[in-house]
Amino acid sequence: MAEQSFPLPDLGEGLEDAVILEWHVGVGDLVERNDVLVEVETTKSALELPSPLSGVVSRLGAEEGETVRVGDALITFEVPEESAGIVGRVPAVDADVPVKRVTLRPPEDD
Amino acid sequence: MTTTLRPAPGDTGSTVEILSVQQALNRALADELDADPRVLVFGEDVGVLGGVFRVTDGLQARFGSDRVFDTPLAESAILGTAVGLAIAGFRPVPEVQFDGFAYPAFDQIVSQVARYRYRSRGRLPMPITLRVPSYGGIRAPELHGESTEAFWAHVAGLKVVSPADAHDAYHLLRASIRSPDPVIFLEPKSRYWQKGPVDLGNSGGADGARIVRPGRHLTILSWGAMVDRSLKAAEVAAEDGVDTEVVDLRWLSPIDTATIVESVGRTRRAVVVHEAARTAGLGAEVATRISERLFDTLRAPVQRVTGYDVPTPSGALEDEQIPSVHRILLGMQRVLEYRRG
Repeated sequence: MAEQSFPLPDLGEGLEDAVILEWHVGVGDLVERNDVLVEVETTKSALELPSPLSGVVSRLGAEEGETVRVGDALITFEVPEESAGIVGRVPAVDADVPVKRVTLRPPEDD
Repeated sequence: MTTTLRPAPGDTGSTVEILSVQQALNRALADELDADPRVLVFGEDVGVLGGVFRVTDGLQARFGSDRVFDTPLAESAILGTAVGLAIAGFRPVPEVQFDGFAYPAFDQIVSQVARYRYRSRGRLPMPITLRVPSYGGIRAPELHGESTEAFWAHVAGLKVVSPADAHDAYHLLRASIRSPDPVIFLEPKSRYWQKGPVDLGNSGGADGARIVRPGRHLTILSWGAMVDRSLKAAEVAAEDGVDTEVVDLRWLSPIDTATIVESVGRTRRAVVVHEAARTAGLGAEVATRISERLFDTLRAPVQRVTGYDVPTPSGALEDEQIPSVHRILLGMQRVLEYRRG
């Protein structure tokens, strides 16, 4: 297994950091892509950050109440070696399992 | 995927290993780097990182940073470097990280790579193999899921090839690197993790198309990731008593017309399946070659099952764009139920 870390993203408007209000996930949790990871508070607003990938959480970058600077590690996932660093996702082996909705007939001149 | 292996010149005897497509490509690169000191591998993140798809994993550690090296994020420069190295006697194997990133290199490929042999009256061959992770299937962002084969196949002076399984990935890449002509090597990225038997010592022949499933009622012609889908559709059709032949074109330039005509001449019905957009896609070329030679034999017009004429969508929307097994079956139904007049 490999690890993949994600930094606190640039939240816009020149904001340099954010306070962790509440983690919605913990170490060992299996997270789906776009699940809410954490609620953070900036000097402008509180907002929820979605997960950029599916994976198992291996490390949280800060405790609730702590401040994380933009670009510092926010969360680390454990991902399979073969998919570490890829753009997109590894397709499931059974992707597009055929569901038969068409009836075919062999040609009459067979 | 079934495969009938025939001994080919240069084969050293059967040695079968189960490898994923990415492992097979990695092995092919390692074996060519090992066999020929003129072979160089370079591109974005191919060295220290080992490639975003792990295809060049471990090669820099084994062969050194003089032969396996990272480049700036500049595809035109990657191909320009390859041209210079080829003129200087090397055998460059550059990578552009994704299909859509080949577009910035289009000028170098079309204006220089494809023409040097012609321009120099044969004195300067271009033994360049450009590896391009290609097509969709991994729900990646924009410009990471493009089917570019028709662009390259339209350019005289380039060879274009696309393997569908691990065995062909290994042998077609080795054959490409050894070719004195430039080869655009399109890797089906959705198949990178698919494992299969690779007979390292016995290619079974790396030229031309390959009949991967024999059948007698109709022929599906395909390449890249769509070969596997076509085989799935053939299995479903078999439940209805329809016996489908599946041909993997493999080489998209030059196209192996003889194998296509031999197959469709027997089955008299043909469906071409590709991910690329329909208009001016390679399916049109294949269909034309069939009708030019088999007009009187065909029992139905050649059907195309393709992507739509839209920009390749990103994310989950690509599931609608890429031909599904269901859409392939509908294409088969159109040729089987066609009636004259």
